[in-house]
Amino acid sequence: MDPTTRPATFTDGMKAVSPLILGIAPFGLIFGVTAIASNVNHWAAWASSFIVFAGASQIAIVDVLDGGGAAVVALLTAIVINARHLMYSADMGRYTASDRWRSKVPMAYLLTDQAYLVTAHRFPSPLERNGFLPFYFGAGVSLWTTWQISTSAGMVLGAAIPESWSLGFAIPLTFMALLVLAIKDKPGLTAAIVGGSVAVMGVGLPYSLGLLVGAAAGVVAGMASERWFA
Amino acid sequence: MTAWVVVILAGIATFAMRFSFIALFGRVDVPPTMERALRYVAPAVLAAITLPAILAPGAVFDPWNAFLPAAIVGGLAAWRTKSIGAAILVGLPALWLLTWLIDSVLA
Repeated sequence: MDPTTRPATFTDGMKAVSPLILGIAPFGLIFGVTAIASNVNHWAAWASSFIVFAGASQIAIVDVLDGGGAAVVALLTAIVINARHLMYSADMGRYTASDRWRSKVPMAYLLTDQAYLVTAHRFPSPLERNGFLPFYFGAGVSLWTTWQISTSAGMVLGAAIPESWSLGFAIPLTFMALLVLAIKDKPGLTAAIVGGSVAVMGVGLPYSLGLLVGAAAGVVAGMASERWFA
Repeated sequence: MTAWVVVILAGIATFAMRFSFIALFGRVDVPPTMERALRYVAPAVLAAITLPAILAPGAVFDPWNAFLPAAIVGGLAAWRTKSIGAAILVGLPALWLLTWLIDSVLA
């Protein structure tokens, strides 16, 4: 049968995310390695992989707390980083209107950049959702399992890696890469330049507040700049 | 203790955001202003994390540190390959090379 007309399966979802797994596993290892090198409670950092289950925010929590930032700033930073899930939720909500709560709750828990991207790609319209749930859970469960294994492995291996390798630098490198991939247009670039510059000027502020002030300034600048680039 | 509180609250907040519109049966659209703002959250917050780390390591402005060129090289690698792993595979060796050069050649 034509693969576009037969119902999608759990295995189809697993196959669709498999190329992305190659990017997730090293990211998970890095999180584990840096978490174990930090002075943040190691069990809490480990548990964040299934409690929060969102890589960039988990790294940010460890980074802010390790740098002596306030707990409130660490929490707000994680929330701001994860705010994009509101967009994915809004889009996936169009597909799941008729599903049961026992599907919707685990669906929401497994909602990540990668699970959303491959599912939205495979199902371009909510009207055509033949095998939607099996496909989504195939992608989501693969990603979840990869994340748990790679972050745990990173924490086990991390203890054996010498300080002189400067592996802590992997955190800014990871964020640099996420930043480069997040800039999609000129207003986005404006948001990044303003957000970054304000945060650099605010490095002396207590509790790592410069981060949040910079982020807020960047969002406002991005929105304001739309009219100049339109 | 602090870390546990942050992780648990971040987990609850993140789940709430993931569940939000799914729970609303998909009948409620994202308000347009919120949709516009959300578009710039990622570049703004990621830059606010990255730039201080490479321009002001140790919370002091210092544009002549080895992290900056290494991060630029890593960023270029990510841009060319669309991969986070590439940034680490290129950026870390770049840092090792730079620190080795500074220590052995310039010293």
